[in-house]
Amino acid sequence: MIETLLQTLLNGAASGGVYALVALGYTLVFSVLGVINFAQGALFSVGGYLTFLLMGGTIGVNGALPGWGLPSGLPFALALLLAAGGSGLVGLLVERVAFAPLRRRNAEPLLALITSLGAGVVLVNLLQLLMGAEGYAFPPSANALAGLPDVLVIGGARIRTIQLLLLLISAAAVVVLSLWLERSRGGRALRAVAEDATTAQLLGIPSSAMVRLAFFLSGALAGLGGGLIGVSVSLPGPYFGIGYGLKGLAVLVLGGLGSVPGAIAGGLLMGLAEALVPGEASGWRDALAFAILFAVLLLRPSGLLGRRTVDKV
Amino acid sequence: MTTTSPPSKAVRQDRLFSAGLIEQRQRGALRLAALLAAGIGALAWLGRSTDPAAKPLTGGPLTLGAAIAFTGNANLYGQDQRQGLAVAERWAQQSARGGRPVHLQLEDGASDEPSAITAFNLLIRQGVIALIGPTLSQQAFAADPIAQRQGVPVVAPSNTAKGIPEIGHFISRVSAQSSVIAPLSLEEALRRDPSIKRVAVFYAQDDAYSTAEVAIFQKTLATLGLPPVTVQRTQLADNDFQTPITSALQLKPQLVVLSVQAVAGGNLIRQLRELGYRGQIVVGNGLNTPNIYPICQRWCDGILIAQAYSPELNTPINRRFQELFRQAHGDRPPPQITAQAFTAYQVLFEAIQRLERKGGLTGVSLGQARAKLMDELLGGTYDTPLGPIGFSPEGEVLQDRFYVAEVRMDPDGRDGRFALVRELKLTESQGQENRR
Repeated sequence: MIETLLQTLLNGAASGGVYALVALGYTLVFSVLGVINFAQGALFSVGGYLTFLLMGGTIGVNGALPGWGLPSGLPFALALLLAAGGSGLVGLLVERVAFAPLRRRNAEPLLALITSLGAGVVLVNLLQLLMGAEGYAFPPSANALAGLPDVLVIGGARIRTIQLLLLLISAAAVVVLSLWLERSRGGRALRAVAEDATTAQLLGIPSSAMVRLAFFLSGALAGLGGGLIGVSVSLPGPYFGIGYGLKGLAVLVLGGLGSVPGAIAGGLLMGLAEALVPGEASGWRDALAFAILFAVLLLRPSGLLGRRTVDKV
Repeated sequence: MTTTSPPSKAVRQDRLFSAGLIEQRQRGALRLAALLAAGIGALAWLGRSTDPAAKPLTGGPLTLGAAIAFTGNANLYGQDQRQGLAVAERWAQQSARGGRPVHLQLEDGASDEPSAITAFNLLIRQGVIALIGPTLSQQAFAADPIAQRQGVPVVAPSNTAKGIPEIGHFISRVSAQSSVIAPLSLEEALRRDPSIKRVAVFYAQDDAYSTAEVAIFQKTLATLGLPPVTVQRTQLADNDFQTPITSALQLKPQLVVLSVQAVAGGNLIRQLRELGYRGQIVVGNGLNTPNIYPICQRWCDGILIAQAYSPELNTPINRRFQELFRQAHGDRPPPQITAQAFTAYQVLFEAIQRLERKGGLTGVSLGQARAKLMDELLGGTYDTPLGPIGFSPEGEVLQDRFYVAEVRMDPDGRDGRFALVRELKLTESQGQENRR
């Protein structure tokens, strides 16, 4: 009984950690601009492929440059960090292409949903063009887990070592980001822009630079998630990030739009809810997870930890 | 007696204005009616003149349309199919000099039903004589009725779910139904280990192919006296199977049966092995592609799969197919899905050439040519890379040679091959029984 409960908790925490990471990316952009970046799922895919290439992976036969790869692969940790940085830069590009022109024209925020969705579709298709649609698994020799057992048994419950690592790295990323937002000068400036961009500008905070920073960090988080998931379940194709992006979106709403602690709580709750579904009915776990989302929103329309907004007239 | 005073000037002017207005309105209504009638007439004329099925065929090349997945998750299969069709085109150019030229028009059927419908509609409007595709059974149930209604022959290269040819007279397939091949790999697993008593089954509940195939697996298991200890339902887009696998492993299965698509299957195998499962794994047709190797790597080793094609079949057409495939794709054996796509093109090409020899198609309308082609297709027998095949009157492939293969991975776990374990020749009655 305790073994089953522990297994459920481990299963829930493992998937919940990734959901939280994806939702945090959405949260950063939403808190600053009040819009959702639908290209987040595509950035997740970009991170996965970048990590793969940096670790010495080669492009498959259906890619644009079959057999191409770096002369030598980087260690997993370095590849992951560089890939997160690369995804952050792609996130910046998405901001320049899909968001900045609309902001300059004071366009309806709703339009940014469509342009970011378009940017995401273009990114995924570019990935497909470059890498082909085949699945890729990370080179075993470059695997950070070489030498470690495939599975760890904790109190009778089993968890794949890579999933535990994924959970720990996700948690570390969340903690570092939260501390940076709370304590650092840059983090406080970002929060000030999120609170009121005009006032922040008057106080000498460069709002535009902060918006770009939010997009970079958001892309980097997505890239980090993509790289970690890629190592855990391989890269099943350029579309794999889209599914995680959608789940992250649900977590964002569940936790409360724009709330960092909400994104973490929402991710873990979503992961646990899915893990609680009995094995034989596991096909219905998305339905259960979204039923919970529905129930929470009925009781708390602003999400678990979101702030209620008051319209001023 | 009453007298009426003559209307005032203002009233008279008003009446005149009203009469003029009515006349103007009547003229306007007449003009509008004439315009509408002309418009409807023009549309009818345009519709009649642009319906490609009504046009007589000329002596030029005929066009075959192929709607296969270039995008979306099914692109893993679409890539294999594209290679098969390209090889078939080269084979046709070399082997049928002097015959009716055939041109192949490719469209992206993607991995969802609306895209397959759009691709079918587009190709039909472009005047193709027959269609190859779509890639997934799920798509076929949505797109095939479109072709059936318009009388366009369809040859499915990879739809294995039950009920595909039953969609209508114009729908056929060269991919053997799951019920014919799926039981063979289970029998091999039990032959290797007769002590198996506990079987766990995994399948994608939102996929027509998986739900059809898992029903066959379960029926076979019931026949063998092995009801599954657990049936885990997953979804097409799932990649992380920690929860269903740990649930299943608590029941200590001795055999795991998977009926999922390639990507999910590769991940499931890897995660099953990583989480400690060491028993036999039997997989369904969705994993009949070498594209699983990069996903499950060394963990793929030893999985059992029933196949409708073996590169080891030693016939002239299979040797020629492999030679052409290797010229284009290097020294690796072609997978089943590539062979089936080749076969779909081959049977249509051969049926067209036979029709030409019987008197030709020039002069008949495209619609009539399509109907004639369907009859010719179903009536013929074909020597293909899959072995000798024919069609039932409903369009179901009649194939008697099947294979059980075991995946053997290279020591570095990067590449592998489907190694032939057993070749089986089904009798006609066995085939009929399995198709039920």
